[in-house]
Amino acid sequence: MPISSLVLTLDASPQLRALALSEVARDPRITVGPPLEERWLPVVTETASLSEGESLAASLRELPGVSFVDVVRVDFSEEER
Amino acid sequence: MDRRDFLKGTAMTAATLAASRLAYGQERAAAEPASGDGVQWNKAPCRFCGTGCHVQVGVRGGKVVVIAGDQKAPVNKGLLCVKGYHVGLALYGGDRLTTPLLRKGDNQVPISWDEALDIIARRVLKDPKGFGVYGSGQWTIPEGYTASKFVKGGLGTHQLDANARLCMASAVTGFLATYGVDEPAGCYDDLDACDVLIMWGNNPAEMHPVLFSRVIDRRSRGEKVTLIDIGTRKTRTSGFCDHSLRFKPNTDLAIACGIAHLLVENGTYDKAFIEANCAFRAPSTPPTLEGKAITFEEYRELLKPYTPEKVEEISGVSAKDLRMLAGLFGRRDVRITSLWCMGMNQHTRGTAINNLVHGLHLLSGHFGKPGDAPTSLTGQPSACGTVREVGTLAHALPGGRVVAKAEHRAQMEEIWNLPKGRVSDKIGYHTVEMWKRFSTPTEQGGDIHTLWVQVTNPAQTLPNTHKLVDPSRKLADKFLIVSDVYPSATTRIADLVLPSAMWVEKNGMVGNSERRTQQWFKMVNPPGQARDDAWQLIAVAHRLFELGFEGMKDKDGRFLFEVKGRDGKPVPIWDFAHYYDVNVDEHLFEEYRKTTRIKHKDLAPYQEYVKARGLRWPVVQQPDGSWRETRFRFAGFDDPYVKKGRDIQFYHSTTHDDRAQIWFSPYEPPPESPDTEFPFWLCTGRVIEHWHSGTMTTRIPQLRRAMPQAYVEMNSADARRLGVSNGEQVTVETRRGKLDLPVWIGGRGEPVEGSLFVPFFDERLLINGLTLDEHDPFSKQPDYKKCAARVRRRERVAEKQG
Repeated sequence: MPISSLVLTLDASPQLRALALSEVARDPRITVGPPLEERWLPVVTETASLSEGESLAASLRELPGVSFVDVVRVDFSEEER
Repeated sequence: MDRRDFLKGTAMTAATLAASRLAYGQERAAAEPASGDGVQWNKAPCRFCGTGCHVQVGVRGGKVVVIAGDQKAPVNKGLLCVKGYHVGLALYGGDRLTTPLLRKGDNQVPISWDEALDIIARRVLKDPKGFGVYGSGQWTIPEGYTASKFVKGGLGTHQLDANARLCMASAVTGFLATYGVDEPAGCYDDLDACDVLIMWGNNPAEMHPVLFSRVIDRRSRGEKVTLIDIGTRKTRTSGFCDHSLRFKPNTDLAIACGIAHLLVENGTYDKAFIEANCAFRAPSTPPTLEGKAITFEEYRELLKPYTPEKVEEISGVSAKDLRMLAGLFGRRDVRITSLWCMGMNQHTRGTAINNLVHGLHLLSGHFGKPGDAPTSLTGQPSACGTVREVGTLAHALPGGRVVAKAEHRAQMEEIWNLPKGRVSDKIGYHTVEMWKRFSTPTEQGGDIHTLWVQVTNPAQTLPNTHKLVDPSRKLADKFLIVSDVYPSATTRIADLVLPSAMWVEKNGMVGNSERRTQQWFKMVNPPGQARDDAWQLIAVAHRLFELGFEGMKDKDGRFLFEVKGRDGKPVPIWDFAHYYDVNVDEHLFEEYRKTTRIKHKDLAPYQEYVKARGLRWPVVQQPDGSWRETRFRFAGFDDPYVKKGRDIQFYHSTTHDDRAQIWFSPYEPPPESPDTEFPFWLCTGRVIEHWHSGTMTTRIPQLRRAMPQAYVEMNSADARRLGVSNGEQVTVETRRGKLDLPVWIGGRGEPVEGSLFVPFFDERLLINGLTLDEHDPFSKQPDYKKCAARVRRRERVAEKQG
């Protein structure tokens, strides 16, 4: 179960931000931290595999209201080979 | 708290810290990663590009298990790109090379290290003058220094070159011709201070994403930064830019001349800056890197043809956009940073375009203040630190010295304790020439009989490989030795393959694009019999020493690479069992450090780098004993070598008067252009998921899945005209070869009409069989960005050609 740390940079528009926040909060694989300045959202993802983590990060990049996704840390100790 | 809760807790801490840095754009108290769960953390620079991000490497049970962005690293402030956060997995591909392999007929069979060392030593003894070493900007600083000492001090030749010749050589000649010394004056801090960022044929959103996000983050915080993309292809970077200008390939020289023309004619150049700090130069006959001196009036006259309308006609960039660019350069109230990388360097006029862009910054006074800088980026982790600074090139010596100067050769003989005359005055072959001679029969002048390749993959990355590489494999007396970590296009054709340790399987030091020298320690063991590249060179040197080869002895008869332990006795570092009895890297680095003062590239003692996340040279000791790095060279407020009281001093001026040179270079057509037979331009390049030839990143399943194979990008209008649809297989052909590729239309990039783009990472689709080996006359760097091609649909042979 790889665990990754990400930072989402949210859009300047409050409506789009709210949309993104509610989408992210709905995903059970994502733990949301406290937003900073309403724009920078620390999140932790927990997925069954690294590839699922990769897909999840990619889908977050495409989410309306998310303008940037920075990956900070990836634990791949349990990645099957 | 169970283990998962603990891991999630530390992961959230890391994310929150990074978020706070992005939100507030300032240094915060950085937390070390928590050392729970049996994970031991240590710092290392990322293995991939030249940005020089630092990662925290988490090791458990002798294996790298976690990668985190290093919160303490000024370069990346805790963030990583898609390649960076997968870097740990690059160690663990299923097909690591673990034993030396010798070609026997069609097979490569395992042999012992002892046999391998004997074979290499015999190839040297056959004729040391014909034994070449070809490395890269992935050599660590100690490895590159070892290679340099092995070839230049030991073999007594200069048959040493590196793949940085293929990516950074024109940046080097540009710096030398303009300032008299290599490498950028500015640093990444400019990205935090500029008001305008111009990217010349550069795609940092994909190639240097951490640097690019630094600028995008400023925008997210409400700062105004104008982004300008000047290129031949729409890229991910273009999408973020306020102005995205498309030009016809090769016409960037006309654009730069056009901007200079407007600055001069409008009187918006910085008269005071150039009167105090600059001189003017133009190409000489015969062409030299020094050129000829011209007056400002002559410079003005040479620029006269480059009116906005004329430049629009040549380049396709509108007169309005040229005036916009000149308008920005003409303002004193904005700070302008220029970035470039392969687009400007892989160019048959690479030196000239580098000179012109430096010239624009000098002419307009946009130099020497934070945010005002012309800065070339690098593609490899130590193209700067190793190839350019250590000088692992056919014409160079360590510390900015050159083979051509007797005084420099004598200095190296003294440092290496060699007899007088050991360091040859005969410059070796640059990369293209070296491989050409390796691929030419001996009796026809092919005087390179053996090449030892380390940390690079030339069978995939050299241009025009059918000419430079393939013929050598049919010549019985040519012998190819390759040290690598994975099978590659080059190991597969090698006569002898040596398994190498990589990244944190060994100690290392590298130098990034902003003059930052970085250090790390070995953290895990390499697999099987894989061993450090520096050890491989030292072990061969010692085998030659044992065989009585004079070159591997200093003038007192001692082994060239002798390292003494604390007891004052030599440590047998040529025996791998004893290689880590001492820190060989530290010994090599301290010896190399003696060479760095001559060009004011002063490095600090090794132990200072152990403590830091890199230091930018010149690093100068302060009265209190501490070591201070330099952010802005030639600028009086920061550079310790600028005379007190001066704002700017170009203290390595080629004219010895503290002046930088503003060059005029004319636009000229390229050596090969599209015609009726080959109507397209072909440009090659990189993608975000893969690093260069993909040897490491294609072993990372996530990256391989994200970008599984090469493709050809085509403009949608061209595709419509040819009746080609997305995903369809086409044949791309040049005068040198052809290749079948799927078409990608409207993807992440779109070339201008009449041009194609193909990435070079895919070893199954070797696009460099098609590229041109024409190169810049000064830097000898080939042009991978421009040659003539045609496209045919595969399934209908009679289909009309493009």
